[in-house]
Amino acid sequence: MDSLLQPLVSADGSHVSRRVFRDPSIYRLEQQRIFARSWLYVAHESQLHRPGDFLANFMGETPVIVARGDDGQIHVSINSCSHRGVPVCRADQGNARRFVCPYHNWSYTVDGRLVAVPQEKKVCQTLDKDKLGLKKVPRVESYNGLVFASLDPAIESLESYLGDMRFYLDCMFDRYPGGVEVIGTAHKWQLRGNWKLPVENQLGDVGHGPFLHGSLLKNTPQVEELERYGLNVVPKPGHGVAVRLLPESAPAAQCMWGTDGIAAFDPEVQAYLLERQQAVAARLGDVRARLKPLTYSIYPNFSYLWGNNTIRVSHPRGPDAVEYWSWWVVDADAPEHIKQKLRVNYTFFFGPGGVLEQEDAEAWSQQVIGNAIEAADDVPYYYGLGLGEAKPHPEIPGMIGSCYDEHYARAFYMRWQQDIGAGKTGAAP
Amino acid sequence: MSTPVSLEQQHRISQFYYREARLLDERLYQQWLALLSDDVLYTIPARHTPMLDPSLRETEALLNLQQETGSGLAPPLRDDSKLTLGIRVMRAYKMNSWSDNPPARTRRFVSNIEAYVVDGGFEVYSNLLLYYSRYGQDNHLYSGRRHDRLRETADGLQIAAREVLLDTNVVTGPSVGLFF
Repeated sequence: MDSLLQPLVSADGSHVSRRVFRDPSIYRLEQQRIFARSWLYVAHESQLHRPGDFLANFMGETPVIVARGDDGQIHVSINSCSHRGVPVCRADQGNARRFVCPYHNWSYTVDGRLVAVPQEKKVCQTLDKDKLGLKKVPRVESYNGLVFASLDPAIESLESYLGDMRFYLDCMFDRYPGGVEVIGTAHKWQLRGNWKLPVENQLGDVGHGPFLHGSLLKNTPQVEELERYGLNVVPKPGHGVAVRLLPESAPAAQCMWGTDGIAAFDPEVQAYLLERQQAVAARLGDVRARLKPLTYSIYPNFSYLWGNNTIRVSHPRGPDAVEYWSWWVVDADAPEHIKQKLRVNYTFFFGPGGVLEQEDAEAWSQQVIGNAIEAADDVPYYYGLGLGEAKPHPEIPGMIGSCYDEHYARAFYMRWQQDIGAGKTGAAP
Repeated sequence: MSTPVSLEQQHRISQFYYREARLLDERLYQQWLALLSDDVLYTIPARHTPMLDPSLRETEALLNLQQETGSGLAPPLRDDSKLTLGIRVMRAYKMNSWSDNPPARTRRFVSNIEAYVVDGGFEVYSNLLLYYSRYGQDNHLYSGRRHDRLRETADGLQIAAREVLLDTNVVTGPSVGLFF
């Protein structure tokens, strides 16, 4: 059979072609029909306190500057000079009054307005600088401090795009009165692999945990708890959350945030987290006070690890390469020394030096070998675990499956197929 | 940091580093762990590209390295203690530590050893080039500067602190969860 005629994703999502992870023409379509038409995470508000604060990021392959302007608003501009295209922001993060293009020294405000062209006074013409600013990313919206942007001016609102994902995002990003803060700059590393695999990993693939990470997680209370109380939630196709919904009888020390790493072995940290847990039910309600998320992904490439306190974005760099960016997140109200002690929950387990993530990177990079095997194109990857089992739940929104049910991935690839195939706007199917 | 070491001390420190590198390249991580003090601080700062401060132009301070490595609570790439290094070592010898099974072939080149006498031991800078070759043609190179505190003990020298400054903005190897 001619593999080009096969569907990329089967009707029920349980088979996904190897070409989805390999084909350069499909990769180009992803850039045009997914990354240019979705809401993409670009920053957390805590990184942009003062006017002039900026950070450089990417929306898919598009380099952008995310900055707080003099008007107090967050602006996102494409990092490319209107004159010859050279990037004008040449730093990762900081505070600036102007970005000056190195080539001819055209200079821009942090929010992308062109303010000076040194050659202008030597020519007779007067430039209309208002029309020569950096290309603006047309839509920027925030949810609980998470800033998203979209290149599609007609995209639905961020709230609508997130849908019931908000119920789960609140568990971390609205858990405490002061919210969370992102501290430091992004940890970045380039990996061999397709951008979708890291997303899948945090979309709900807790099924790999006790196995790929068996050297550290096998036979641990964490896995036992996951298998007993773990659920895979699809709040809206494309988004996913793996959670542990503990029974009403579960003690506060089991329900609280911060216990998935090793920081809570410290009695002072344990006491702090327990005290913080007392107010959670009043903010989020009884159900969410005993809901412990584990991993989140928002379509197409944002992820958050509740257990290890890290936001990550999987930046595509061709079919076989990912630039994975990772930030540490912490309870903003925590005293400095508690933050310091909580940090190891991130650094030891995740990020480029993380003891769990080094195994993930191994799996993601090795998949490239399988993706390349054209001789096996008649054998698509199997995504059918738990097919047909997911259903609504009386206490939490979305479609709910067991912790090993792969419905999160089926929903993601069915949405992906629809976006790629129909080339429709970023609206969810 | 003003008292340089004697020739004999320099020789001893060099031999210590060469042996350390050989233990690691021979995958003898448990023997390597014994070279670290129980209170060891082992860090790898994250290194970003900052906006240069124009008020420092025309001075060496404009390009100082500290501004690239963050401060305060900014998370480093690695923040290990003897406990967490011990877990990394233990992990390496398990059948299901998949990124170490099959194990990488490595070669550590230690150079530019610059040592000073300090209270109780030595403060030492050294450069490290680590060649890291995984299964198949998966080859990588890591370059960095190590800043160590070596402590004089009854059992010989011990590493009491090590900061590894890697020379990349975007990490291009598969992991920095290695022993540098």
